[in-house]
Amino acid sequence: MSTEVTKNSSGPRGMARRTLTGLNPALESVLAGVVGLLIGALLMWIWGYDPWKAYMAMFRGAYGDSYGLASSAARGVPLILTALTFSICVRAGMFNIGAEGQLYMGALAAVTVGYFTLPSGLHVIAGIIFAMLAGAVWSLVPAILKLTRGVSEVISTIMFNWIARFLAFYMVAFILVDPARGEKTISIPMNARFPILVRGTDLSYSLFAAILFAIVIYFVLWHTTIGYEVRASGLNPAAARYGGIKSKRTMLLSFILGGLAAGLAGATVVMGNPPTYAVISGLPQLMNVGFDGMAVAMVGRNHPIGIIIAALFFGGLTAGGRVMQFYGSNPVPLEMVRIVMGAIVLAMSIPELFRMFPAIKRQGTKLCGLLRRLTHRASSEEGSA
Amino acid sequence: MTETEHVSSNDSALDYYLRAEGITKVYSNGTVALKEADLEIHRGEIIGLLGENGAGKTTLTKILSGLLPPTKGRVISPRGPVRFGSPREALDFGIGMVYQHFALVGTFTAAENVALSHEHPFSTVQLASTKERLERLMKESGLHVPLDVPVEKLAVGEQQRVEVLKVLSRDVDLLILDEPTSVLTPLEVDELFVLLRRLREAGKSIILITHKLKEVGSITDRVVVLRHGEMVGDLTTADATTEQLARLMVGKMIDTAARAVELTEEGLPHRESARVEEMKSGPIILHVENLTTHGNTGEIAVEDLSFDVHAGEIFGVAGVEGNGQTELVESLTGLRVPASGVATINGTNILGKDPREIYRLGVAHIPEDRWELGLVLPFTLAENAILGVQRWEEFRGPMSFLRWGKINQHVRELMERFDIQATGPGAPAKSLSGGNQQKLIVGRELAKNPDIIVAAQPTRGLDIGSAQYIRDLLVEMRNNDRAILLVSADLDEVLALSDRIAIMYEGRFMTIASPADLDRETIGLLMGGVTVKEGV
Repeated sequence: MSTEVTKNSSGPRGMARRTLTGLNPALESVLAGVVGLLIGALLMWIWGYDPWKAYMAMFRGAYGDSYGLASSAARGVPLILTALTFSICVRAGMFNIGAEGQLYMGALAAVTVGYFTLPSGLHVIAGIIFAMLAGAVWSLVPAILKLTRGVSEVISTIMFNWIARFLAFYMVAFILVDPARGEKTISIPMNARFPILVRGTDLSYSLFAAILFAIVIYFVLWHTTIGYEVRASGLNPAAARYGGIKSKRTMLLSFILGGLAAGLAGATVVMGNPPTYAVISGLPQLMNVGFDGMAVAMVGRNHPIGIIIAALFFGGLTAGGRVMQFYGSNPVPLEMVRIVMGAIVLAMSIPELFRMFPAIKRQGTKLCGLLRRLTHRASSEEGSA
Repeated sequence: MTETEHVSSNDSALDYYLRAEGITKVYSNGTVALKEADLEIHRGEIIGLLGENGAGKTTLTKILSGLLPPTKGRVISPRGPVRFGSPREALDFGIGMVYQHFALVGTFTAAENVALSHEHPFSTVQLASTKERLERLMKESGLHVPLDVPVEKLAVGEQQRVEVLKVLSRDVDLLILDEPTSVLTPLEVDELFVLLRRLREAGKSIILITHKLKEVGSITDRVVVLRHGEMVGDLTTADATTEQLARLMVGKMIDTAARAVELTEEGLPHRESARVEEMKSGPIILHVENLTTHGNTGEIAVEDLSFDVHAGEIFGVAGVEGNGQTELVESLTGLRVPASGVATINGTNILGKDPREIYRLGVAHIPEDRWELGLVLPFTLAENAILGVQRWEEFRGPMSFLRWGKINQHVRELMERFDIQATGPGAPAKSLSGGNQQKLIVGRELAKNPDIIVAAQPTRGLDIGSAQYIRDLLVEMRNNDRAILLVSADLDEVLALSDRIAIMYEGRFMTIASPADLDRETIGLLMGGVTVKEGV
C-alpha cells in the first residue's frame, strides 16, 4: 500500500494529474464508490437497519439474475443519453441543464409519430429521428440566446425545462391523450416500438441505440476535427480563437448534439418501455431522467465510455433500490434508499466535480496533500509532495 | 522589541518615513527580481521609480505594500523594523497602493466601493458615515468624484480617483501608484498631478512607478532608477537630465561595435557579420499602412502605423510593454479587428480575416502568452501540435476524421527537429517545462512553412539555453528568406537580432532605424517618449 503511494508521488514533479488523487481514473471511481457505500452503510446502521442485508438485497436486485440485470440496464438506457447531453456541452465549456426539457420534447415527438402508419422498420426510425429533432430544436433556443444575446445557458435551459414540463402536461392531458384512457397518451403502435431484448423484462433494443450514440459521440469528440475544436474551445477559449476555431460554431454544434441525445432518450422511454408505450400523465417515467443524467455524467467523468458504465451502474442502483425496500427481514424505507443512493452517487461524482471547478479542486488537492502527508509522516519526511 | 530601544537612542536621524535596506527578492522559480535594493522615503516627497519591464519596480512596491515578503533585507520605520504579512497590514501601517488595474465593483457607487474596502467581512456597511467622511476628505484633498453614481459610469480618470480616495480614506502616509498615467488622457494626467502635488503639501509621501521620462521631470522630487533588479541611480530630479535618466534606464553606453562583441560573449548568435554581409532587401511580405487599432477599453492603442517587413529580414519592435505592441500583433494575426488601415501579406488583405485564413496566407504566430493563447494546456503534445492547422489536409482525412497516425508522426518529427523533451506525443502539454512548451509552439509554427513569422516575446521567461535556441531558429528562418516581425520587451534581444528596429511609444513608432544607427541613450529617450531632434 505505502509503496504504491510513494511510487505515485515520486513521479515527475510537473506531471499533469488527471485525477484528484493521482490514481488511475477507474480505480479512483471504484474507491469513491466504496467510500459512498460505507457512508450509506453507516447511515443505515445509525438508523437501525442492517447494512449488509440491505446491500445484499440491492446487489441481488440489480445484478443477481438476468431479470435484475435486464431491468438495471433498462433504467440505464435513457441515462446514457441525457448524461451525454450534459457532457458534450461540458466538453465545449458550457453547462447545459436542459436535458430534462429536451427529453420531454423527444418523448412527445415519439408519441406524435405513433399517429402515423408506416412499415415496421421505417416507423421506428421515423420515431427516433423525429424525437431527436424535437430535442435538438428545443435546445436551439437557449443556444441561440446564448450566442446572440449572451444569455447564460444555465438560466435559459432551466427555464426551458419548466416550459417543457408544463407544455408536456398540457399535451398529455389534452392533445395526445388516449380517448379511451384519460391518464395517458395514445400508445405507440407495435410497428414503432423497440423490440424487447430479454423476454419478460422491459429491456429493449433501445440499449443498442444508446450505446451506439455514445460511441458515435466518442468518435466525434476525439477523432474528428470538429470534436477537436469543441474540446479546444471548452478547455481554453482564447487558445481556440488563436487556433482559428469559431467558438460560436462549436457551442451551437454541441448544443445540437446534446439535444439530439436528449431527444433520443425521450424516444427510448416511450418506444422501448413496456407495458404502456405511452407517456403517462404526470410524466412519472420521464421525471428527473434528465437531471439524473447529470449525476451519471459526473460519475462517468464526462467521457462517453465512462458514461455507459456509470449509467448501467446507476440503473442498477435504481433497480436494486426497489428490491431493498421490500427485502423480507430487513425492509429499508424508500427515503433511506434514496439517502444511500445519494451518498454513493455524490461520493462518485466528487472527483469529476473537482476537475470541473478549479476553485473546489484547489481546496480538494490541498486536503488530499494534507492527508497524504499525515499518512506518510510516520514513514518519511521526503515522501510528502 | 530590543530594536525599539536601539532606535530611540538616536532620535536625531528620524527625518525619514520609511527605509528599505538591502531588499533582495528571489522568486520560487529562481528569478532574481531585486538585488540589494535600498530606498529611503521622506515625508512630503514624490519619488519616481523608473525602469524598463522586469527591472523590479513592481516587485519593490509589492514588498513595500505587503503583497510579497522580501527574500532578504528589511523595511524599517523610525519606530523600528516593520514586517507586513498582507496588504491590509501595510494599509494599517499607512501604506496604500493603487494598481494599474482597478479593484472596483462596477455596479457599486464610489461610496459603496470605499465602504466595501473598509468593512470587515461580518460588520454592517456604514454607508452614511462613509459618505460623510469621504465628503470631508474630498474637501481637504481637493479630489472630487461623484459619490452616488455607479463607478462603471465614470470615466477612467474618475475611477482612478475613486481608487486614490479609497486608499486615502485609510489615512495613508505613503501612496504608491503603479503607472497611473497609462490609462489617462492628457487632461486627466494634469488633474492627477495637481492632486499629487496637493497631497505632497499635506505631508504625504508618494511613489510613482513610471517609464515615461517626461512625467518624471514634471512631477517628481527624486528619481530612483532600477535596471535588472539593481538600483542604478538615486537622483534629485532637478539635477538629472533626461539623457542621463535614459542612459541609466537602458544600461551603459556602448557603441555598436562593442555591443556586438558583448552580446556574442553573452552567447547570442554570431551573426553580426552575417547580417552585414547578407543585408539584402527581399520582396515586401508584410505591408502595413495607416493602421489604427483600439485597445480593450476602447482607447487608441495603435495609431496610424505604417511599415513594411521584407523577406530575409528581422524587423524588431522594441519599447516598454503596453505601448500598443500587443494590439499591433493581434491586429496582424486575426485576433483583433482594427479600426482602420491596410495590412497585406504578399499583397492579400488580412485585416478582419480570422486567424485560420491568415495562417493559410503564410503567417505563423508565436503568441506572447504561451499558456493563455499558444497552448491548450490539458491537451496532449499531439493535440497542441495541430492547433491552428487542424483542418489542413495532412491532418484531416475524409469526414473530418483526424489522422492521428500522421499527427503523431508529425509530433515525433517536431520533437526531434526542435529538441522538445517530452515522454511522447501523448504527454499533456502542461507536463512540459516552459522551454519545451515554447519549443513546441515555435516548432508548430515553423512547421507551417510560413512566409512571415510574427514572434511576440518569444523568449520571455525561458532558461538561457532555450531562449538562445529559439533566437537561433529565428535567425535561421531569416537567413532562409523568411520575414520576421519580432516584438520583444527585451531590448538586448531586439538589438542583437533585428535588421531594422522600430521603437514603439503610445501606439506609434518613434523611429524606424538600423540598430547600428541607434545608441542606447537615444533608444532610452525614444522608449520614454522623448523625441530626438537630430540624428546621431
